[in-house]
Amino acid sequence: MMSWFRSESFSAWAFMIPGLLFLATFTFWPVIYGIPLSLTDYSVVTETHYVGFENFSRAFQDHNFIISLRNSLVYVLIVPVIQVISILMAILVNSRIPGVKMFRTAYYIPVVTSMVAVALIWSWLLGNNGVVNYLLMQAGIISGQVSWLSTSSTALYVLMFITMWKGLGYYMMLYLAGLQGIPSDLYEAARVDGANFLKLMIHVTIPLLRPHILFCTLISVMGAIRVFDEVYILTKGGPGTSTLTSSVYIFQKGLEQFNFGYASALGLIVSVIVGALSVLVFRLNRKGGVNSY
Amino acid sequence: MNPTSLSTKQLKTGVRYIIIYILLILLALFMMGPFLWLLSVSLMPGRNVFSSPPAILPTFIDFDNYVQVWQFMSFPRYISNTVIITALGVVFNILLSSLTAYPLAVFHFKGRNIVFTLLIATMIIPSSTAMIVHYLTIQAFHLGNSFLGVVLPAAVSVFNIFLMRQTFLGVPSDIRDSGKMDGASELRIFWQLVLPLVKPGIAVIGLLEVMAFWNNFLWPIVVLEDPGKYPLAAALTYLNGQFSYNFGWIAAGTMVSVTPIIVVFLFTQRYYMEGIAGAIKG
Repeated sequence: MMSWFRSESFSAWAFMIPGLLFLATFTFWPVIYGIPLSLTDYSVVTETHYVGFENFSRAFQDHNFIISLRNSLVYVLIVPVIQVISILMAILVNSRIPGVKMFRTAYYIPVVTSMVAVALIWSWLLGNNGVVNYLLMQAGIISGQVSWLSTSSTALYVLMFITMWKGLGYYMMLYLAGLQGIPSDLYEAARVDGANFLKLMIHVTIPLLRPHILFCTLISVMGAIRVFDEVYILTKGGPGTSTLTSSVYIFQKGLEQFNFGYASALGLIVSVIVGALSVLVFRLNRKGGVNSY
Repeated sequence: MNPTSLSTKQLKTGVRYIIIYILLILLALFMMGPFLWLLSVSLMPGRNVFSSPPAILPTFIDFDNYVQVWQFMSFPRYISNTVIITALGVVFNILLSSLTAYPLAVFHFKGRNIVFTLLIATMIIPSSTAMIVHYLTIQAFHLGNSFLGVVLPAAVSVFNIFLMRQTFLGVPSDIRDSGKMDGASELRIFWQLVLPLVKPGIAVIGLLEVMAFWNNFLWPIVVLEDPGKYPLAAALTYLNGQFSYNFGWIAAGTMVSVTPIIVVFLFTQRYYMEGIAGAIKG
């Protein structure tokens, strides 16, 4: 027994225990506790009862929840757009020309600033008398002012645009790292064979970026489904329910109306959907390999 | 090689450079333009951002907005709140993730695979419900309305553990062996021999967490009942709600809140970007 205290096992667990305790409390516990919670009507105001699967059947009849799921799925449509633009950006900033590092840094600034600041700037730019309307009208693209964030048909797409704008630099850096790992003689060999830009992309760049594309797609799918900050700050789900995404709805039910049981059930349903989507992304990219994170 | 072919080649390179620079600058306007415009609004005296045509460049520059919002909003308090929360968050993350990652990288022990599987599983499970349970947990610990309540749910992350593990794997095993020969305890080997060698990894985690905690606004609003304890990003949403008509003030306040983080980023971007890039390997 004494020898165990000197073994590697003992040291290993001794090292890990503080971290694992925190993970248990704040990472594992929410997942575990969310399940029994979803089977109750737990809220701050009333006594708690076991209600079985009532929350779940209620969820599938909850019109707003269905709409929020649909909006979240629409949100996922920015994923391919982000990948295409950020790969093109990465190719651009991978050029070996003077000053290119400065541009990389500039494109990354939106990533490090708070969503609160970003949302505020864009809400002003997109106002009725704002700069965006002015510029678009000057360019003759639109004929009159558009209330981008308070029109049901545009609000969700505008939010998607802001999410994309803030995230582009992040994905650009990941793809840039991938590009820099591609041996340059591969390009030279292809060029000698007379390949143009498009052919280089299809036959060299894209296949070799595969693991990066898988990783970026996966995190942006999860990001799109979880999207919260920009929606909460800018539209709170409105006008009407046009930008109500699932996270915002769960937050409203849980932490604004304190229906913890119902919100937990909604969270579980969304979790299952995200899990399924992740599996789908993995399958579509079966050849790609991701490091453990 | 004859001179004419050389000059066509040079011309081609020149044209390519010009095209690349034009694209780079256009993209820079798209990514940075909104920030430059915010700076411009913050320096405009008494102008409305929704005037027609909208004010894009200031006619003359003054710092009144900064002076007024600084006097009104008790920035020093919000800044110190933010600094405390960020410092706590960074220290917790560095300590806990390096302690947890170290055995996973170098020790051989029973249960190592179980711990690994558990950690990876959490990355697949999304945390929509987490915030609700966090709220209940923090209330149960009586940490509501406290900075610890803000920090603890994000005190350690699986991502950081994996990042640190990757760094520890790069430390030669001779180091630990030589420490053992000299009879040093595992803790001492970790603290005095290994940790100094993984400073770059620690710096990356530190930076990532500085950004995360500095910019966090939602969880602080949920946990902190007293707006006087808000960090900057949360205080800004409050300011925006109260004084949505006073554009110059809000622009100035926003500039004050984003400038420190941008400055930190500019000085450390090399490590930061390496850290982000190191997160995946093809």
